[in-house]
Parts: sequence; structure tokens; C-alpha cells
Amino acid sequence: MKYENPQIPEGINSSSTNPLKELLLLTSGALLALAIIAFVVGQASGWLAQFIPFETEQAISASFNRVGRADPPLQQYLDGLAERVQHSMDLPGGMDIQLHYSSGDTVNAFASLGGHVVLFRGLLEKLPHENALVMLMAHEIAHVRHRDPIRALGQGIAIHTLLGLLLGYVDAAILGETGLLTQLHFTREMESEADMAAQKALFSIYGHTAGAGDLFELLHNEHAANGGAELPAFMSSHPLDQQRIDALVRQAEAQGWVQQGGVKALPAMFSDWLDASGKK
Amino acid sequence: MAELVIFLVLMTLGYLFGRHAEKRHYASLIGREKALNALPAIAMRTPPQDVIYSQQLVMGNTVISVDYFKRFLATLRNLFGGAVTSYETLLDRARRESLLRMKEQARELGAEMVFNIKYETASISKGQRQAIGAVEVLAYGTALIPDVPDNRLES
Repeated sequence: MKYENPQIPEGINSSSTNPLKELLLLTSGALLALAIIAFVVGQASGWLAQFIPFETEQAISASFNRVGRADPPLQQYLDGLAERVQHSMDLPGGMDIQLHYSSGDTVNAFASLGGHVVLFRGLLEKLPHENALVMLMAHEIAHVRHRDPIRALGQGIAIHTLLGLLLGYVDAAILGETGLLTQLHFTREMESEADMAAQKALFSIYGHTAGAGDLFELLHNEHAANGGAELPAFMSSHPLDQQRIDALVRQAEAQGWVQQGGVKALPAMFSDWLDASGKK
Repeated sequence: MAELVIFLVLMTLGYLFGRHAEKRHYASLIGREKALNALPAIAMRTPPQDVIYSQQLVMGNTVISVDYFKRFLATLRNLFGGAVTSYETLLDRARRESLLRMKEQARELGAEMVFNIKYETASISKGQRQAIGAVEVLAYGTALIPDVPDNRLES
């Protein structure tokens, strides 16, 4: 019996696949799966979040009460307008709007959890007439009515938690106050819906929709003045201002609302109230 | 961001050094195998009956570690399933190296061949999550050492 060990040919017990190609294929597959899961989880959480009771929102956002209010004459005026808007929008029982005022120069206003709406002096002093102010308030109150803050927050937290679980980092800051505020990112659909509801309220209060677009003209001028062209629509969370104005006109036409009418001027003391608070 | 950069650096280092080490090892393996093919390693249990040999257990042991690049590829494969080709060359090298070391031990003893060879594998750092840190392969067999230069039984 002759025993031999011939030289065995190479490449039988190992594959000749290119590892870099395999890496590319597997990594892109994993990233795609991750993106799909994140999207689905985000959408589902956003939808589920609206079932969180409003009382819970109010409890979470109790710290908001530290944001100041305006001086009595201004605050009374604003609250009065807000009351009329709330009535016309038919908010569910228990959904109370709390208007806050900040004397900062920011040209902005936002709605947060628990019905807290913050108006900044910078925007208020640029409003041309009361109809624009009511449009602004109605827009923010519409966000509250549609539960947009809790939905946006739910979506943001869900995706953040998912990524944290999968990629292994934990960022507890999301639960803090700054976390609550900075996660509020309304989608363009939410903004459009709020615009529609706001114009409806405007119409029911004044009987016409004149002045509705003026708010967005103002914002458009602000954006332009701040330099730089507006980002293309898909890159920014706010629908382009001109598109918003067009959408409002289309809604008014579809509903058969009167679009012309006299706009109501702001109270004579309005700019004095703003100046007084700004000097603090 | 920093973690991503570290990850990419490790991946690149792992890939480059791993590829270099593998090429060198294969060259060495093929050279030594050619030299030791004269000392056959046979898996049969029964040695040749016509000659009297003195017998000795011989062993060859290798521990090879995985580089970062291969480990990451294997982790991805754990998600999707399929052949973990990145570990195939690793185990191939470890087995062949162990066999060669066993043959070298046998040659030191003056053996003519090694019979009844078997392999055993162990994975070191099994407990650490799922990552295989290093692979150990043991090849052992019975070396057949001729007692005298010419000791064929008179038939």
C-alpha cells in the first residue's frame, strides 16, 4: 500500500468573493432596512401619540408656566382674541389655550404641548392689522387642536429611541426641557392643515378672508431680508410662503368665501404696549 | 461622529493588514506543504501491517485572530444569513498550518508518516458577545517511526 500526500489545489475551501463588494452589499442592505424601519416606527408613533390624553400633555408641560405673560392691557387684548378664536374653532372640552408672550426680537410664534402658545414681540410688532394677528393665533391654536405638538414629539422620540437601541447610544437629554422644545418639528402637512383651519376661523370671525395672506407676505419678506434664497420646498419644513398663500386662496374659492373686505386695525395702543414690554 | 471615524480607521487597518498577513501566510503554507508532502498524513486508523513502527502522538496547534474588517463582515452576515466567506480563509489557513506543524513535529522524530489524524477546533473568547476573537485548530495523529532502517518482516 503506497501512501502519498499530493499538493492539493487552492481555492476549494475558501471562496473568491471580493470582501469589499460583499461589505458594500451588506452595509447598504442594512442601512436600507434601518431607514425603512425608522420611517415606519416614526409614522406609527406619530399616529399613536394623538391618543395620549390632553391632560397628560398639560401635566408634562407644566414647566411652561414659567414663560412669561405680557403686561395686563396687552395680555387682556390677546387673551380676548384667543377666546374668540377658540370658540370659532370649537375646541374639545378641557383643551385650554394658554397664551404666553416673550419680548424677544425673534420673528416667530409657536405652539407647544399642553396648549401653551408663545408669541414673540418681534413678530407681533410687524403685523399690519388685527386680521393677521387672528390668523396667526388661529394657526397656532389649530396646531394644538390637531394635537400636532404631541404627534411631532412622539415621532421624534420614537425614532431617536429606535436608533439608540440599535446603534447603542443613549441620550437622556431628550427627556429634559430643551429636549421637549427642540424636538418639535411640524411636518409640511401639519402646517398646511393648520393654515386651512386658521382661515376657516378667520372667515367665521370676520365674515371674509381678506388679510389672511398678509401674514405670509410678512414672513416671506422676513425670510428674504434674512438673506439667502428660500430653500427648495422639500428641504424646509415650512411650505414655501407663496404656496401657502395660493393654497389659502384656493380654499376660499372652493368654499365660496368672500375674499374682499375691510381689515380691522389693531388697537391704537398696540405698538405702545409692545414698546413698553420691549424696554424691560 | 468620532465613533464613525474610529470605526472607519479600524476597518481600513483591519482590511489592509489582514490582507497582507493572509497573502504572506498562504505563500508560506504552500512552500512548506511542498517540502513536507514526502511525509504523508493519512486519516486511516489502521497502520500498515507489514512493517513494525514505533508510534508516537504528534500534535500541531495554531491560534489565529480575526481582524476588525472580517469581524464586521461576519456580524452583518449574522443579520442576513448566508455563507460567512470572510471566515473561510481564516479556518483554511488554521487547519493547514496545524497540519504542517504536526508533520514538522513528526519529522523531528524521524517519522515516515503520520496516521489516524484528526482535527479539533476551539474558539477563544467565546463568551464575549458574539464576536469570535480567535480560532484555535489542533491537528493530532500517530507518527510512525521506523525502528531500524530496513525492518521489513520476513515473509
